[in-house]
Amino acid sequence: MRSKLPVLFPKRRYVVFRLDSEEEIGSRDLQREIHFAQASLFGDLGAARNRLKLIYHEGPFGMLRCRHDGVQQTRAALASVYAVGGVRTAIHIRGISGTIKSAREKYIPQLSRTDAEDGGRRIELEEVSGCIVHIHGRKIDLCPDDPKRSRGSDTRYLGLTSFDLSGGHDDADGTSDGL
Amino acid sequence: MSYYLWGAKALPEGSDSASRQALTARDLGYKGIIICNCEPSRIFKADAARQIKGFDVEFGAEIEASNARALHSRISAWRPTYPILSVEASSDEIIHAACESPHVDALILCIDSRLSIAAARAAGESQVAIGFDLSPFFRLRASSRARWLEAFGRNLELARKFGLSMILTCMARSRLDLRGPKEILAMAEVAGFEPAEAEEAMLLPERIVQENRRHWLAPGVELL
Repeated sequence: MRSKLPVLFPKRRYVVFRLDSEEEIGSRDLQREIHFAQASLFGDLGAARNRLKLIYHEGPFGMLRCRHDGVQQTRAALASVYAVGGVRTAIHIRGISGTIKSAREKYIPQLSRTDAEDGGRRIELEEVSGCIVHIHGRKIDLCPDDPKRSRGSDTRYLGLTSFDLSGGHDDADGTSDGL
Repeated sequence: MSYYLWGAKALPEGSDSASRQALTARDLGYKGIIICNCEPSRIFKADAARQIKGFDVEFGAEIEASNARALHSRISAWRPTYPILSVEASSDEIIHAACESPHVDALILCIDSRLSIAAARAAGESQVAIGFDLSPFFRLRASSRARWLEAFGRNLELARKFGLSMILTCMARSRLDLRGPKEILAMAEVAGFEPAEAEEAMLLPERIVQENRRHWLAPGVELL
């Protein structure tokens, strides 16, 4: 015998998000932080009503389940996350769907790992110098030689792009991305 | 909808270059970004941000002043140079002086800024928009955030009463402080904005940018 008729199940929404963080984030830390952010903002009662649950997390992508009328609440809770496990993090929502299947197909890329690579190379400019930590496409994370450069913004790395490094001339491979 | 992100800070005042802030904002769904540093002439590689295709990058200036006299001299010096001028509401004196100046585009309220009735009335007459900074929403927690929300609600009530133009911003100092337009709308609604009000506040920066691109000789007189 069914314990509950299907029409009595609460409608759900699946929220796909992308993490932007300075280090790798563990699923357990992420789940704890999201629940804490929601409970801090809406109280225990509001958090219990929304039934938020992390159902998938791999690399920078993840998926949450919430009630269909709690999407705005979930957006606000995710936007209020400042750091996860002491690592500065921002959670950006990629999309919302009614089923897990469509959420995966629409918003989670098949290759979950991006073209990230550890650099180890240095940048020496007049204003900024340091070691390249991560490269994601045109985006470059730089560990500055002078730690005071990122003071006030509470981040460990400086964010640059290949546009900042191009000196107006082409490199040997024909590109002018400055790397 | 075409949203512009108001008031991001770039290197050296933030931790990310202007182009990195712009690239992240484009990925989040914005149409443009307005970068407001306190010393805009020292922005690291400002021209690099303009190479991003299909995305509008404007460089404005944010004025930090210790008293009204310094504020007025900074306004008259920077107004011809920068298309966008915003003022950080650091004290009551600065709030009053900024609200009375028609050359200021927006007054950005800080964590503990309080808008007074006289200042709100002056802002309405001078058409100064009130910028609501949502960064304490994710920077603060518990009782300090509750106090900020209380002050936020009080300022919002005054702005509503006097029919002031409003702007929503997250005053991003790094790419990790940037939030997408829908997230900003959700945060604003939680903080007390009506949905239509928040939508209007998100659309205002683009209108200000477009207005300031035109050449105004005097109030109501445009050079075509």
